[in-house]
Amino acid sequence: MKQPASEAQQGGPEAAPEPPVLSASTAKSAEEKGGWRSLGLRLDVRNLSLLGVLAALIVVGGITKPEQFLDTNNLQLVLTQASVIGVVTVGMTFVITSGGIDLSVGAIVALSSVWATTLATQQYGFAGILFTAVVVGLGCGLVNGLLIAYGGMVPFIATLAMLASARGLALQITEGKTQIVTVNSVLDLGIPDSYVLGVPPLVLVFAAVTVIGWLVLNRTTFGRRTVAVGGNAEAARLAGIDVRRQRLYLYLLSGLCCGIAAFLLIILAGSGQNTNGNLYELDAIAAAIIGGTLLSGGRGTIVGSVLGVLVFTTITNIFALNNLQSDVQQIAKGAIIVAAVLVQRRTMRNGEA
Amino acid sequence: MAPAPPETLLLTMSGIIKTFPGVRALDGVDLEVQAGEVHCLLGQNGAGKSTLIKVLAGAHQPDGGVITWRGEAVTLKSPIAAMRLGIATIYQELDLVEGLSVAENIFLGHEPTSAGFVIKGREARAAATALLKRLGHPEIQAHTPVGELSAAQQQIVSMARALSHDVRLIVMDEPSAALDPDEVDNLFRVVSTLTADGVAVIYISHRLEEIRRIGDRVTVIKDGRTVAVALPAKETPTREVVALMTGRNVEYVFPERPAAPPSADAEPVLRVEGLTRTGEFEPVDLELRPGEIVGLAGLVGSGRSEILETIYGARKPTAGRVLVGGAPLRPGSVPSAVRAGLGLAPEERKAQALLMLESVTRNVSVSSLPRFARIGWLDRSAERTAARKATRELSLRPDNPEARIRTLSGGNQQKAVLARWLLRGCRVLLLDEPTRGVDVGARAELYAVIRRLADEGLAVLLVSSEVPEVLGLADRVLVLREGRVVHRAPAQELDEHRVLDLVMEGSPTP
Amino acid sequence: MPETSRRGLLFGTAAISAGALLTACTSNEPEKKEPAANSQPAAADDKPGTPVTIGFAGPQADHGWLNAINENAKSRAAKYSEVTLDITEGSNDTAAQIGQVETLINKKVDVLVILPADGKALTQVGLKAMRAGIPVINLDRIFADPQAYRCWVGGDNYGMGVSAGNYIGEKLKDKPNATVIELAGLDNLELTQQRTKGFDDALKNFPNIKKVARQAADFTVESGQAKMAQLLQAQASFDALWNHDDDQGVGALRAIQQAGRDGFLMVGGAGAKSAMDAIKADNSVLKATVLYPPTMAASAIDLARALGQSKGVSGLAELEIPVSVTCYSAVVDKENVDQYLPTGFS
Repeated sequence: MKQPASEAQQGGPEAAPEPPVLSASTAKSAEEKGGWRSLGLRLDVRNLSLLGVLAALIVVGGITKPEQFLDTNNLQLVLTQASVIGVVTVGMTFVITSGGIDLSVGAIVALSSVWATTLATQQYGFAGILFTAVVVGLGCGLVNGLLIAYGGMVPFIATLAMLASARGLALQITEGKTQIVTVNSVLDLGIPDSYVLGVPPLVLVFAAVTVIGWLVLNRTTFGRRTVAVGGNAEAARLAGIDVRRQRLYLYLLSGLCCGIAAFLLIILAGSGQNTNGNLYELDAIAAAIIGGTLLSGGRGTIVGSVLGVLVFTTITNIFALNNLQSDVQQIAKGAIIVAAVLVQRRTMRNGEA
Repeated sequence: MAPAPPETLLLTMSGIIKTFPGVRALDGVDLEVQAGEVHCLLGQNGAGKSTLIKVLAGAHQPDGGVITWRGEAVTLKSPIAAMRLGIATIYQELDLVEGLSVAENIFLGHEPTSAGFVIKGREARAAATALLKRLGHPEIQAHTPVGELSAAQQQIVSMARALSHDVRLIVMDEPSAALDPDEVDNLFRVVSTLTADGVAVIYISHRLEEIRRIGDRVTVIKDGRTVAVALPAKETPTREVVALMTGRNVEYVFPERPAAPPSADAEPVLRVEGLTRTGEFEPVDLELRPGEIVGLAGLVGSGRSEILETIYGARKPTAGRVLVGGAPLRPGSVPSAVRAGLGLAPEERKAQALLMLESVTRNVSVSSLPRFARIGWLDRSAERTAARKATRELSLRPDNPEARIRTLSGGNQQKAVLARWLLRGCRVLLLDEPTRGVDVGARAELYAVIRRLADEGLAVLLVSSEVPEVLGLADRVLVLREGRVVHRAPAQELDEHRVLDLVMEGSPTP
Repeated sequence: MPETSRRGLLFGTAAISAGALLTACTSNEPEKKEPAANSQPAAADDKPGTPVTIGFAGPQADHGWLNAINENAKSRAAKYSEVTLDITEGSNDTAAQIGQVETLINKKVDVLVILPADGKALTQVGLKAMRAGIPVINLDRIFADPQAYRCWVGGDNYGMGVSAGNYIGEKLKDKPNATVIELAGLDNLELTQQRTKGFDDALKNFPNIKKVARQAADFTVESGQAKMAQLLQAQASFDALWNHDDDQGVGALRAIQQAGRDGFLMVGGAGAKSAMDAIKADNSVLKATVLYPPTMAASAIDLARALGQSKGVSGLAELEIPVSVTCYSAVVDKENVDQYLPTGFS
């Protein structure tokens, strides 16, 4: 990074025609540096500050409740509880990175989970439930995407409308009743017998979605276009990117994540209920933002979002283990959001200076 | 007008400097305004007018220079500080609250109150009515919501708001842009009322004939510098004013044209047939051959950028079509144009071309992503290598593919945009004001790059408001006036004065 | 109120066993598929009387219990040929519900049954109806002003906690140093605080029992699972659990299953069918549930009908219906589950 900066000094109208050998070697080192950074988890300052928060929480948990907190079962518990909202947050991160917002995620999770657990769907067993959850999620995402990309609606409004109607439809399907799942192959995925080397299947799915999400955002044309659309939609359009199609895909992706999350929730809760996914939209947005994704778009980090989710889940866990009540939990959650963002802004400023 | 006696001197700004990352917006601007005059500020888009008035309004802090207000040096720390001194600014986008009434808008932030917080609505309405009457618009009702007023009436309300403070200087940024001729007449009457009361007005407009009608003196700025101070508005010939606005202050070095220009029989790579956008430009026909640079010359508002963007598919034509290599493009589709081999370097580089948070590489590769991808999976080292090859070909500095684009100078940012299309392998390059915001010294290098790209077989369509740039760089020139092509000729057959005559044709040219 | 004499006459003919109305809350006679209230002999008088139009305004039925309230009201009204039920679209929005009640007032219904989204917020509209001469039966969530209703019918949240605490206490009274945990409902609601208070007060009768942990879920299966999982992790062993709500209990049971835990006694709340089924099957930790009976809506219809026809309640000596009826929070366990199963809601 240093060498090219000094070259900038000599830049200008009379710049050297072709860089000398020396600069070619520095170029190589710069590339290697990029390559090294790309191999790692790209732990930039934003993620570092959040890792610090997480580490501090682990210390607090370990001191206050050493036996219960520092325990394999508890690790499984925290990761399992993080899985459902985590998958939603990965989708949300893409949408926010593109400069959009999806307020309907919680409602889509609710609708997918109840549609996939009606008596009619349950007749088709495991595949029927999984298929329905994913297709309903995609369907809602498709409607969101079409309204926003081709209907010219503001994402806030379009997804707010989806929030209302998906919740309404979920209520209509269930009539307020809890739909118990009786398909054993689905239920079995939630109990310890199904754990793979001690890892719950839900956590495996969450991990897979995270890794795929990270790869897609950082290593594919789709991810690059998402960032471009979020950074400057007009520039992206004039650079030849089909911005509208990209937006459509993004809301489809968010819907897909909601469908997967709904399936995980069905496994976890052993049922479908229209109240599922309550306030997921706010939790997912909060996790993405404290993770370092810019609410205005153009910059997103899957690692940060997942850390954000883990921070929230760990707080809930520590508070519950210490038998603190929900009022204190909510206050602490608000404080953590403010603290994380403040720390992040400070470290970012220092990092840039 | 005779030189001002010192006691009427209201404002002097001297040597004002303002730098933004990558560009020096103001590079020593001087301005001198007397009480009771209409002082016109002229300059092309990007010349620094907006920055200057923002400095004057207290919205930007200058990096250098002195501001003297009624004989005392002042610093304008904030818009409130400027307002306290008696400087009011009426921006192009009016900052009125549409849901509030006329009176509420006028007294927003300094409402007449009793006991410090109870707003005396009746008093405010009476005062508002008096102000509107003073401005010659008693027909505007003080209780009407501003949203229900016409653009012209809203402007009057803005002025009344300025007058509700003890204002001595009103800055008007293109006040006539949204008005029809009758409303402009009205506006001028109001301006005369103000100056008769001793209030000074800084009037910004592109319309030279307005300046002649209403202005007392003219200051021209170009590239962040004052190029003419206090010219008499009525007497200075239009051509001289235009020449000051557009003219060069440095002798540019233009690259040699190729010895053998592309033959007229060669197959055109771009053919535009009867392309029209109602309200913006009339049917345009043009052909572009490989290796050829064609220039579009015209004033702001002549339809230059609109034509370019319509060819590119960023605007949908009302009629006509665009063919690349003989195949018609889908109207209004940028992806279709890009696939066919068109590339655009747009006028507003930051707003329309660059991903400001991203690196040089990503800005260059953004239009060619599929090339580095297998089923969507990016080969990032191939991407970096290719992007770097393109930026090196254009001698982009710094030679660091990971540098953030926003840290680059204007000229190097423009090279990144050109590298984007070079990498994409485009056949037709559409350049809209390619040297806007580019330091004077870096322009020659850009000219050389553009010519070299043409020599390598690209067809270039160039839009510039700088007549010498069009004449120096292009092979052929189309002159535009009010959305119409009024003249076509090889560049060598034209000179600057001829082009200025053509673009101003119809205006009185003394 | 006119026609007192005729009411007396009608009252004489109403011969139903004492407390029949009240036991509508806790039905005795099982009958499949239909809310139990239908199988009850109607209060006051089964014979068609003067036509009565009852306006019914409730919150959005987004929870099993609220849904059961609506169904109980509807099926009870359907039993009477002379009763017309004008039921509004349920709403959780106070303003919307006020509007709905005002519409019913304007329609000049004979009696109003209101289950407010928020009791305090709907007090004014209750007063308005009463002033307009339309008697109001206030269901469950009580208005702030007694003048806003003619009769209040509701459950006993404090009593629910007491019942749960006493039941658990009796089961554990011989066990030294017994520990109990509580999975509460939505902490934002006063009723949750009342239930917890009742539970704590009842446990005071049993000095050997200590409540060691409490977490609040929010009446949803999802939150029940999440909070229960945390509670289980926090408490390596305990003897009993009271869960306020059977809906969230579905999630709690799932968490218990996932953690592979047993060896404690679980008591539910509200009286969902799924809970009663589990109690009957006796194959899980869930051994009992404390009722908060949705049949109170059927009772409210009966009371409304009696009001509209200017009758009293059979089985009571009074000429008028009572001002307040509090349903008993019975404990349902394996012994009596068959009796209560038909009232279970899903």
